Amino acid sequence: MTAETASPASSAKAGRKSRRRKRSAASIGLDVLNHGLLCVVALFFLFPFFWMVSNAVRGNAEVLAIPPRLFPNEWQWGNFVEAWLYLPFGQFFLNSAIVAGSVTAITVVVSALAAYAFARLRFPGREGILVAYLGTLMIPQAMLVIPLFLIISRVGWINTYQGLILPMAFSSFGAFLLRQFFLSIPKELEEAALIDGASRLRILVSIFVPMAMPAIGLLSLFTFIAQWNNFLWPLIVVNGMDKATLPLGLTMFQTQQGTAWNYIMAGATLSMIPGVILAVILQQFIYKGITIGSGFGGR
Amino acid sequence: MSQTSEPLATSRRPTSMARREAGTAILFLLPSLIGFLAFMLFPIVASLGLSFTNWSLLAPPSFVGLANFQRLFTTDPIFFTILGNTLFFTAEYLVLNIVISIGLAVWISSLKIGQRWFRVIFFMPTFTPTIAVSIVWLLIFTPGGLMDYVLDLLQVNFPNLLLDPNLAMQAVIVVTLWASVGYNMILFNAALDLVPQSYLEAAKIDGANAWQRFWYIRLPMISPTIFFGTVMTAITALQVFDQIFVLTSGGPGSSTATLGYAIYQNGFQNYQMGYASSMAWVMFVLIMMLTGFQFWLQRKWVHYDS
Amino acid sequence: MRTLTRLTAIALLGAALPLQAAIAQDEPVTLTWTMWSGSDAETAVWRHLADMVTEQHPDITIDLQTASWGDYWTRLPVQAASGQLGDIVAMQSLRAPNFYQILEPLNERIDGDGFDIDAFDSSIVGGLSVDDTVYALPYDVGPWMIFYNKDRFEEAGVELPEPGWTIEDFTEKAQALTSDGNYGFGFYPVDYAMFSSALGVDYLDEDGNLALNSPEAVGAAETLANLVTEQEVAPVVASGPDSGTITSGRFDSGNIAMYVDGPWVMVNKAQDVDFEIGLAPLPRGEGDLEAVTAGSGFGIAATSDNKDAAWRAIQVLTGPEALEYLGSEGRALPARTAQQASWFDVAAADVYGAREALEYSLEHSATYEITSNWNTVENLMNQYFPLALTGNQSPQQVMDTIQSLATQ
Repeated sequence: MTAETASPASSAKAGRKSRRRKRSAASIGLDVLNHGLLCVVALFFLFPFFWMVSNAVRGNAEVLAIPPRLFPNEWQWGNFVEAWLYLPFGQFFLNSAIVAGSVTAITVVVSALAAYAFARLRFPGREGILVAYLGTLMIPQAMLVIPLFLIISRVGWINTYQGLILPMAFSSFGAFLLRQFFLSIPKELEEAALIDGASRLRILVSIFVPMAMPAIGLLSLFTFIAQWNNFLWPLIVVNGMDKATLPLGLTMFQTQQGTAWNYIMAGATLSMIPGVILAVILQQFIYKGITIGSGFGGR
Repeated sequence: MSQTSEPLATSRRPTSMARREAGTAILFLLPSLIGFLAFMLFPIVASLGLSFTNWSLLAPPSFVGLANFQRLFTTDPIFFTILGNTLFFTAEYLVLNIVISIGLAVWISSLKIGQRWFRVIFFMPTFTPTIAVSIVWLLIFTPGGLMDYVLDLLQVNFPNLLLDPNLAMQAVIVVTLWASVGYNMILFNAALDLVPQSYLEAAKIDGANAWQRFWYIRLPMISPTIFFGTVMTAITALQVFDQIFVLTSGGPGSSTATLGYAIYQNGFQNYQMGYASSMAWVMFVLIMMLTGFQFWLQRKWVHYDS
Repeated sequence: MRTLTRLTAIALLGAALPLQAAIAQDEPVTLTWTMWSGSDAETAVWRHLADMVTEQHPDITIDLQTASWGDYWTRLPVQAASGQLGDIVAMQSLRAPNFYQILEPLNERIDGDGFDIDAFDSSIVGGLSVDDTVYALPYDVGPWMIFYNKDRFEEAGVELPEPGWTIEDFTEKAQALTSDGNYGFGFYPVDYAMFSSALGVDYLDEDGNLALNSPEAVGAAETLANLVTEQEVAPVVASGPDSGTITSGRFDSGNIAMYVDGPWVMVNKAQDVDFEIGLAPLPRGEGDLEAVTAGSGFGIAATSDNKDAAWRAIQVLTGPEALEYLGSEGRALPARTAQQASWFDVAAADVYGAREALEYSLEHSATYEITSNWNTVENLMNQYFPLALTGNQSPQQVMDTIQSLATQ
């Protein structure tokens, strides 16, 4: 069904250029319908966000009222401020930004280096290491938490940024994703550079990285978001408020004395803002092309 | 997985060129390998070791041989229910996820205006904090909640999803789809963006209709990306935990208990770390098998250029 | 020159080490105290207690480490597993049978120092003990009680509950309060234990083993399930970690007129709702009421290097002065009977019948009988009991399942 509505338009930019001719009213009507229908679908998709904000700005006692009310009896926009002031949210934001930002930066650099080796360099045991990397993606995170904590406590990194960052910064997903992309970059490009005497590092930085920007953008986005919302690891490593990240902060509204539903919703709404901004910014890197290379698996 | 290109390097005597290349490779791999050994391999080996112990976290572990695995397959009354639930969830969720995300990706790429905004909208749930996802959907699905109210207004007689043992898993699937369909959507949409416009124009001139252009050109061209998305989605689906933890706790009864949830429950709530580790290893084998199967299957449908 | 300084430094260090060991008793010591806290305000209260310790024992400084209530219990076993426990460990009575092995037994110290343990409410000392060994000194205590919506009672013309009321009185009132989609009562599966205790029903056998499928225990489950399935005076709840908070939220929104909770929620509750809250003891069965209590206290980690200092510290943390302060801040109903008045004046001031209900419940207080895997039992209750509320299974079937899964 989607393809039918999709067809007359094909892709936006190319369409605009190639079809300067006058378009029939029917075709315009179809476009409007196409956009309109997707808007309806999007509204359904957005409803939980409306519901989130609507519950964020009502009194706590109103959250579970039967029958539920779509809109609050009394709009309490001040809840955003109160939730922010109730806990050191500024500190939580900062911590989350430091952790998610550092993990993303390290992941991109480490993954790009490894991916280049996997995609372009021949060395003994290459396939074996690659399979081992892929294998680690299949182990549930919860199982690794305790041994990881043993390591971190042994080196004295509990309640530190490095303890929060480093164990999360070496996911094999990144190396794997970028390898797939690097494989699709034509060999001729680097061969010329090699003959000119360029070093491998130089080739990676000046040829592969720019060409792989979409994949790097995607990896950055996925990594940043996963870390921004990571819960289990910070929960284990952090002691107290000074290094707590946002997801931990949100659970602090659930206490022995009761649950502040409205504050959780308000805090969650605020905590989503950086993600939205990042997604909008990174889009321009991601689009204009990504293929998860030819040769994923068999070649 | 199925690669047998190993002999490449070993069949010939390594020339100095090859040795230099291997040297560079090691330098490039080093940061990743160090992290991998310290933060991946060691914990994984440790968890394998734990699966042969009865560690309770609070007292030192002692070796129990295969007792955990024996209990898993012979005496645990709900293990096979859990296994069945996990496979059921994975099958239904995987199919729906891939179909919906391809559908959305194609639909969005057909738009004349506002593509980027629609992408952000459908991607937004992926950065919603888990606790917020849970509460929002809980307030919708809980008995006497928004969904019951709306169905009541429409005078539709439908059981509450969270109370019905046959339907509870559907609630989990709906929430999981909402929360993560955006990843594949953005991946596939980006891949579609790369299909050369000239191919489509040429096909159009040859008289291919919209469905044919989708089925014979765009779909094969993005099939490597779809394969990647399918493998990754299957891996995460088999590990499903968050949504079940916050929404149903595996209930009512054992109707939504999955392996991922059982591992958490046994390890962190019942403090039977050894037993939880043995479950994790069963899950690992399961994922390996499914991934292997997918790699075998890809020869039949994934189209590689060149 | 540089070698010389280095040598001197080494020599000095070497000399200092044995000296330090010899005078360790009077050396200042830093104790780590792991505690739960849900806000800056709450953390400040615990900080104040920590300062009280330093004031009385200038050689002790306290490093306070907090986590939110739920997270605290996920982290504790991980810390134990890796030898990272604090010196002072906060412990709740419901978790004590699970965690007691990581704590230092206190009996010898109590006897040796002539510490007056009888100044505390006995039910909560029992709650923090396992096999007659005390593992933590309590700071608060609270019996489970019925919280009710006084306005709803008055609108419906139903007489307010009185201490000593029976399960029949209770059911009658719940029926009278149920109308227009609102319910007289609301509960979630874990309330089963407090309810059966109040009715004098045992769900453990004489040896303290789980006996959820004994005829008596199943009978109590039927009583509770019938409130939903037959009398329809309570709403059905789904399985899930939030079923308890949903029930409490439905009370706040005025949709259920009575529910079960403890005095620890009163600080926030009275401010959250726009009706008057009343408090009554749990209803009794044929015999006297047995009001089970919960509470928390502070223990010493078995792995601590500073046990003596920690013992001095927890005596201050649970001392009359500290508990008077906690009570007057409305934080906790003091576990010391003599200090309880301080709390009544603050937290119970806006709640109708609070003092009466609490005093009656504490007079009839009993230690909450639980097994060492109570955590598992509660999870299974949450997971399986809803099947009995929807009629998918009988209470007998459900209790059989929980019993078999919890004891496998």
